[in-house]
Amino acid sequence: MTALIVLIGAVFYVVAYFTYGKTLERSVVKPDVKKPTPAVRLRDNIDYVPANKFVLFGHHFASIAGAGPIVGPAIAIVWGWLPALLWVWVGNLFIGAVHDYLSLMASVRYDGRSIQWTAGHLMGKQTKFIFELYVYFAMILIIAAFMGVFGLLASKSPEILTASTLFMIAAVIEGQLLYKTRLPFWLSSVVGVALTLLSIVIGFWKPFISIPDINTLYWLQFVYIIFAAALPVWFLLQPRDYLNSYILWGGVILGSIAAFFAFRGFSWPIFTSFSANVIANQPSPFWPTVPLVIACGALSGFHSIVASGTSSKQLDNELSGMFVGCGSMFMEGMLSTIVIASIAAFGIGIFESVSEKIASAGFDLAKVKSDPITFGSIGAAIINHKDIGIGGALGIFTKSFGQMLNTLGIPVKIGATFGGLWASAFILTTLDTTNRLARYAWQEIFDPLKSFSKGLHRIITNRWVGSIIAAAAGLYLIMKGGNAYTALWAGFAGANQLLASIAMLTAANWAKRVQKVSGGILAAVLIPAIFLWITVFAGLIWYLIKVIPASDVSIRGILGGFVVVMLVLDLLLVFNFFRSFGKEYKEES
Amino acid sequence: MGKCIEVVREFLTGFKKGIKDRATFAIKDELDDYENIFTLIVMGLFSGMPSPPAGLVLRILPYMQNELKIMSKKTAFLDDMFVQTISRFDID
Amino acid sequence: MKVYFFVGKGGTGKTTLSAAFGLGISKNNYKTLVISLDPAHNLGDALNLKISDRVLKISKNFYAVEINIEKTIRKYLSELSNRMRSTFRYFSALNIDRYFDILKNAPGMEEYAIVEVIKSYINSKEYDVIVFDTPPTGITLRILGIPEVSIVWTERLIELRRKILSRRKMLNNIHFASSSLKKRYSEENDDPVMRELYDYKGEMIELRDFLSSDNCTVNIVTVPENIALFETERILEFLKKFSIKPGKVFINRCMMFRNVPKELIEKMKEQKRVVDKLRKDFSGLTVKEIPLVKISPQGLDRLFKFYENYLKEVQDD
Repeated sequence: MTALIVLIGAVFYVVAYFTYGKTLERSVVKPDVKKPTPAVRLRDNIDYVPANKFVLFGHHFASIAGAGPIVGPAIAIVWGWLPALLWVWVGNLFIGAVHDYLSLMASVRYDGRSIQWTAGHLMGKQTKFIFELYVYFAMILIIAAFMGVFGLLASKSPEILTASTLFMIAAVIEGQLLYKTRLPFWLSSVVGVALTLLSIVIGFWKPFISIPDINTLYWLQFVYIIFAAALPVWFLLQPRDYLNSYILWGGVILGSIAAFFAFRGFSWPIFTSFSANVIANQPSPFWPTVPLVIACGALSGFHSIVASGTSSKQLDNELSGMFVGCGSMFMEGMLSTIVIASIAAFGIGIFESVSEKIASAGFDLAKVKSDPITFGSIGAAIINHKDIGIGGALGIFTKSFGQMLNTLGIPVKIGATFGGLWASAFILTTLDTTNRLARYAWQEIFDPLKSFSKGLHRIITNRWVGSIIAAAAGLYLIMKGGNAYTALWAGFAGANQLLASIAMLTAANWAKRVQKVSGGILAAVLIPAIFLWITVFAGLIWYLIKVIPASDVSIRGILGGFVVVMLVLDLLLVFNFFRSFGKEYKEES
Repeated sequence: MGKCIEVVREFLTGFKKGIKDRATFAIKDELDDYENIFTLIVMGLFSGMPSPPAGLVLRILPYMQNELKIMSKKTAFLDDMFVQTISRFDID
Repeated sequence: MKVYFFVGKGGTGKTTLSAAFGLGISKNNYKTLVISLDPAHNLGDALNLKISDRVLKISKNFYAVEINIEKTIRKYLSELSNRMRSTFRYFSALNIDRYFDILKNAPGMEEYAIVEVIKSYINSKEYDVIVFDTPPTGITLRILGIPEVSIVWTERLIELRRKILSRRKMLNNIHFASSSLKKRYSEENDDPVMRELYDYKGEMIELRDFLSSDNCTVNIVTVPENIALFETERILEFLKKFSIKPGKVFINRCMMFRNVPKELIEKMKEQKRVVDKLRKDFSGLTVKEIPLVKISPQGLDRLFKFYENYLKEVQDD
C-alpha cells in the first residue's frame, strides 16, 4: 500500500505538472523566452544573478522545505490518512502550486519586487502593512509551536535530543572547517556529513542527554534562540543550514525508496470522522480547518516570500519558472505524501507497542482500533499524552519512519533518530532565524512611531528588545498555554494562510488586470483565491469560538487578540481586493 | 540522446555550484549587508548625515565605484526591503 | 619645530598678536611662518602688506600666507574627481563634477580642508616656527579635535572593513579555491580601502600626537569682559580633554586710564573683576594683560614695537 500511494502520488504530481502546470504557464503567465528576466537585465551579482534552473530549484526547495511538511500532516492524520492525503494532493495542486508559481512569476514581471510590493501596488498601501503584521504574528506563533513540538518530542526521546545536540556541535565544527581552514571544500563536506551520521549513531547508541522535563526544554530553547541569533552566521547558522540540505535530501530519497519497497498495508484508519479532535483536542471540522493544520505540504504563504524575495531575482529565463515554482511545491507534496504513508502504515503498530501504557492512561486501544469515530476523538490525545510517551506528532512520525526505513535494513532506532534529527534540525534552524527576523519585523512595524516619540521608538526598536520580546512571547504561549502546541501550530498556520490569501488575491488581481486573463483560466486562479479566503476566514472564526475558550486562561488574551486583529485585517484585505479588482490597470509605478 | 547528456551535464554543473551556494548563502547575505552599511556610512557625507571625516571619505571614495553603482541601484528598490530581508531565511 | 596657535573669538586681536609674535620670534633668527586660517583674512591688514595664498617672504626669516579655504576645497575635490574619472569610466558618463559640487558644501568639508593645510605645513619641516592665526573659537576647537575624532571613526571603519574582508575570504575559499581569479580583495594588504584606512589613521595619530606634544602650544586671546571667563574656560577644558598644551592667556584691549571717565567706571570694575578671576581660576598659566593701544599696531614696525612692549617678556623660548 505504501508503494502504491507513493507511486500514485508521484504519478499524480508528474501528470499535474505537465497538464495543469503547463496550462497555467501558457495561459496565465505567458512566458516569453526572449524577454530577459530581472536576473539578467538588472544583474549585480549581489541579489540579481541568474542561476542555473537546477541550482535554483535546489535552493528554492531547500528554503521552502522545513519541519512544516512533516509536522502538519503528522497532526492532520488523525482525520484519517485519506483526507490528509487528498488535501496534500488536491490542495497542493489547485491552490499551493498556483500560489507558488504565480507569486514567482508576478515578481519576475515587476523587476523582482516582492509579493508584498505587488499586493500594495495592485490593491493599495494598506495591504503592505497587513502583510507585515501577519508575518510578525506568524513568527511569534511558530516560535511557540515549534518549541512545543520539539519539546514534546525531545522530552520523550533522549536519542533524538542527544543527536540534535551533537549535531549542533558538528555544525560548529563544520563551520570551522569550511570557513576558517584551507581544507578543500569537498573534504570538509564529507567530514560534515560523517559527523552528522555520527551524531545519529551516538544518539541512538548512547543517548546520554536526557531531559524529560518539558519546561526545562522550553527554557533551553529560549536561551538557545537569544544566544544563537546573536552569533555571526558563519559560526552556526550557515554550516547547520548546509548540513541540513544533506539531511533533507537523504530523508527524501531514503524515505521514497523505503516507502516504495516497504510493501506495507495501511492499518491506520482511512477516515475517522469529519470533526475529529485534531486541533487543541476540539472537534475540528475538516473543512474549514484543514489549512490550519497542513500548511507547507499543501499551501504556505511563506513560500511566496521565498519565491518573490529571492528566487525571482535569480531566475535565468521565464521558461524556468514552472520548474522552480511548481516543481518545488510538488516535491514538497511528495515529501508530505511519504510522511503520511509512513504513519498510515506503521502508526497503529506504534500504538500497539505501547499498549500497556495506553491502557493505564485510561484509553481502550481495541475500541480505538475498531471504531473510527473513537479514533478520531481520542487519537490525538493518545499521541500527545505525557505518560504514554509517543512524543506528539513528531513522535508518531519518527517512530513510523524508523519502522519504514527498517524495511531497508536500517535498525529501527537509527531510522527513528534520523527522522527525529531531520525534523529537529529544521526546527532549530527556524527558531534561530525566526528570532533574527522577528527583531527586524518588529522594527519595521514600529517605524511610524518615530514621528511620535523618538525616545520611545529607540527603546522599542533596540535589537535586543525586539528579539527577546518575540522569543519571550513564544515561550509564554507554549509554557503558560499548557503545552497546547496544536493550538499554537494552528494559529501559526492561520497567519501563514492569511499571507497565502494575500498572495493568491494578488495573483488573481494580477492575472485579471495585468495579464488580461479571463474565463475558465481566470477561474483557475480566482476560485482558489476566493475559496482560500473563505476557508481561512471561517477556520479562524472557528478557532476564535472553539479553541480560544478551550485554551488556558493565561494565553487566551494574547492568542485571542492576535486572531481578532488578523480577522479584522482580513476583512480589510478582501475589501481592498474587490475594490481594485474591477479597476482598469494603469502602468504607473 | 544528445539532449539527455546536455541535461545531465547542466544538472551536474548546477549541482556542484548548488551545494557550494548552499554552504555560503547566509555568509554572502551577511557580507552584502556589511558592504551596504559600509557604503552608507561613507556616503553619509553626500546627504549631510553623520559621516566619517570628510578627509577620509574623499580618500576612500575612488575605490568604491562598484559599491556606489550598487547603492544607486538599490535606492530604486528601497520601498521593498521587508520581504527581501525575510526571504533569505528558512522559516517554513 | 615649534607650532603656536592663537585662538579666540573674533575681534579680540588674534591676528595682530599672531603677526607680532611671529615677527618678534623671527628676529631671533628663527625661520618663522605666520599662516592665517581665518576666512576673515585680516593678516594682510595687520602687516600692511598684500598677502595671498602663496607664501610671501617678508624678511630674512619672516614669511606670511593667507589660506584660501574655498580654493583649497575646490582643489581637493577636483583631484578626487580626476582620480575617479580615470579609474572608472561609468562615472565620467554621469558627469561627476555635478556630484562633487554638493560635496563643496558638505558639513565638515571646510574643517577637513583646514586640517589638511595644517598637516601639510607641519609636515613640510621647512620652518623653525609656525604661527597659526585661527578662525573663531568654535571652528578652531572643532578642528583641533578632528584628529582624535578621526581616529575613532577610522578605527570603527577598520573594524567593519575587517568583517567584510573576512567574509569575502570565506566565500573566496569555497567558490574560488582552485582558480587564480580572486573575485574581490579579501586580504588586508590587497584591499586599497583598508590601506587608505590604515594610512589615514597613521597620519591622524601623528598629527594628534604632535598637537599634544610640547612642541605645540595654544595661546588664548581674549578681552576683559564677562563672556571672556566662560569662553576661556571652555577653551581650556577642551584643550585638557584633547591633551593639548595651553600656552598663555592674553587679555587684550585692557583699558588703562590715569583718570577713569565717569561713564566707564562700571566697565573698569567689570574689567578688574574679569582679570582677577582669570588670574585666580587659571593660576597655573601665565595671564598677560595687554593694554588698548592708542594707535592700532599696523605695519611691521608698529607690530615689532608691540611685540617688544608686551609679548617679549612672556616669551620663554
